[in-house]
Amino acid sequence: MRLGTVRFSEAVLKEVEALFARYPVKVNALLPLLHMAQRENGGWLQPGWDSYIAELCGTTLNHVRGVITFYNMYRTSAPGKYHIMVCTCLPCGLCGGAEVMEHLEKRLGIHAGETTGDGMFSLEEVQCLAACDQAPLMVVNEDMQKRITLEQIDRWVEDTRAKKA
Amino acid sequence: MAEEKLLLLKNIRQQGYGGDYASYKKTGGGAAFKKALTGMTPAEVIETVKESGLRGRGGAGFPCGVKWSFMPKDLPGPDQKPHYLVCNADEAEPGTLKDHVLMLGDPHMFIEGMMIGCYAMRSTHGYIYIRGESPHAIRRVQAAIDELYKAKLLGKNILGSGVQLDLTVHPGAGAYICGEETAMLDSLEGKRGLPRSKPPFPAQSGFNACPTTVNNVETLANIPFILTEGPKAFAAFGSENNTGTQAVSISGHVEKPGVYEMDMGHNLKSILEDFAGGVRGGKKLKALIPGGASAPVMRADEIDVPYDFDSLMKAGTMRGSAAIMVFDEDTDMVEVANRTIRFFNHESCGQCTPCREGTFWIKNMIRQFGDDAGDEALLSLVHRAAGNIIGTTICAFGDAVGGALQGFVQKFPEDFRNHFQS
Ligand SMILES: Cc1cc2nc3c(=O)[nH]c(=O)nc-3n(C[C@H](O)[C@H](O)[C@H](O)COP(=O)(O)O)c2cc1C
Ligand code: FES
Repeated sequence: MRLGTVRFSEAVLKEVEALFARYPVKVNALLPLLHMAQRENGGWLQPGWDSYIAELCGTTLNHVRGVITFYNMYRTSAPGKYHIMVCTCLPCGLCGGAEVMEHLEKRLGIHAGETTGDGMFSLEEVQCLAACDQAPLMVVNEDMQKRITLEQIDRWVEDTRAKKA
Repeated sequence: MAEEKLLLLKNIRQQGYGGDYASYKKTGGGAAFKKALTGMTPAEVIETVKESGLRGRGGAGFPCGVKWSFMPKDLPGPDQKPHYLVCNADEAEPGTLKDHVLMLGDPHMFIEGMMIGCYAMRSTHGYIYIRGESPHAIRRVQAAIDELYKAKLLGKNILGSGVQLDLTVHPGAGAYICGEETAMLDSLEGKRGLPRSKPPFPAQSGFNACPTTVNNVETLANIPFILTEGPKAFAAFGSENNTGTQAVSISGHVEKPGVYEMDMGHNLKSILEDFAGGVRGGKKLKALIPGGASAPVMRADEIDVPYDFDSLMKAGTMRGSAAIMVFDEDTDMVEVANRTIRFFNHESCGQCTPCREGTFWIKNMIRQFGDDAGDEALLSLVHRAAGNIIGTTICAFGDAVGGALQGFVQKFPEDFRNHFQS
């Protein structure tokens, strides 16, 4: 337990106050608060943030942990610098999504749910993203790449790796 | 391509339409809210919506005006509970993308509908629940709301009427079940999204135990038209019990996937052929799912039907969220069943045993077919296990997964037999 070792900056705390003002009770704002905590901390909920958030909105640590584990988007380990989501749901999965996933796993040498050893790429299999007309698709951080081909993926991986080197 | 009937997408289809408030106003936007606020009582607004026959576009097709009339009529005073309108912008039903098209292309239209709904139900604060995986939609809708505050159309004493209204965008965090309205309310309260037993219905006890109505984005986008043009003009679209137009998402093996707007009751076969350009690559149609992953599949010879709530119910399936997923002749329906059950198993909230256990075990059974290890007994077990989820759960998720899985087995047993152990 690392109670009290983490906190938002003063600027973000102002944002938190404005957020609380939009809800009848503070705990209603738990989901957006957790998003903020991730945004401020490299895209994941680092140790201590669950209890800090619980304290901020006046609820229990167990409640917050229950919420964190219920929703897909909250992460308790660090994502790669490039977090890649591939939709393999119905219908994407039958329109190239499955092949995109397989290709990326091979290309990056990791399975869905894992991060490459150098921390560059993490890969996640996701359900329908409400963009099925653009299948197959891959989302890198917030950027959705539509109707992507395996060649484009290869080029993107190479370019991204080269950027780092 | 067949011609669209444009009511919801009328601005979006205009070349260069910006979607900001100034552009929206130029098309006559904002007039409906003004009309309601300055010339109609809340009861009159509800009556007008009732007369239009508008049915909810989120999935269940419940009459919108009737739902609004369930809210307490008394004005919430200082000692009474506030009323809430929550807009369901979670859009996570596989195959559905029309709410995103509306939110991104013309956010002010559904927001105006929501503002009118708030006035009619005496709600002073509305929440728009947008799925967290769509930061672009969250930013777009937030920007539209900011514009409205700047124009003093949100906030205190709007247009000098004494009416106060605030709107807040609430981001989800990746859970399909939060599209179910009572799970959405739990999620909005800062909890895990678990569907609630009804009664009490949200109109009695919803968000923070206060009277609440939940409406889909597209449902609300229809409201401005109904108020400015009148309920009869709206009911002139569509058919008797299924009025208005509909924004249909079509995806899968078609030439032109996307969202198209047409009358309720437009022929399903024509939607595929005349709007979506038919099956892609000149292939033959094998099957389609007419209303999102929750709707039972139809064979190619069954699709010559009107596409609306009642006709599809009669055909043994459902219109749901109007998401048509098309599969060509090369598709293995075991693979479709596999992706469907994986989705439902992943998204089951785990609250009810039949759904939590059923989706897990059926997923494993379907996987056995994938490994060519099926047999007749396993096939009937899939059917029976799916049936055991129907009607035994708190929310309609259970009925959806049960009905969808039974549909695959009933309509395409030969595909499963191809995966029997030899
Ligand atoms: C499992 C499940 C998921 C649902 N997902 C959505 C959704 O993503 N969007 C939506 O508008 N309605 C969804 N619904 C339907 C809502 O519960 C509710 O009926 C709807 O939002 C009401 O709005 P309407 O009357 O305007 O259609 C879902 C229902 C169930 C059972
Ligand atoms: S199935 Fe992939 S976005 Fe809908």
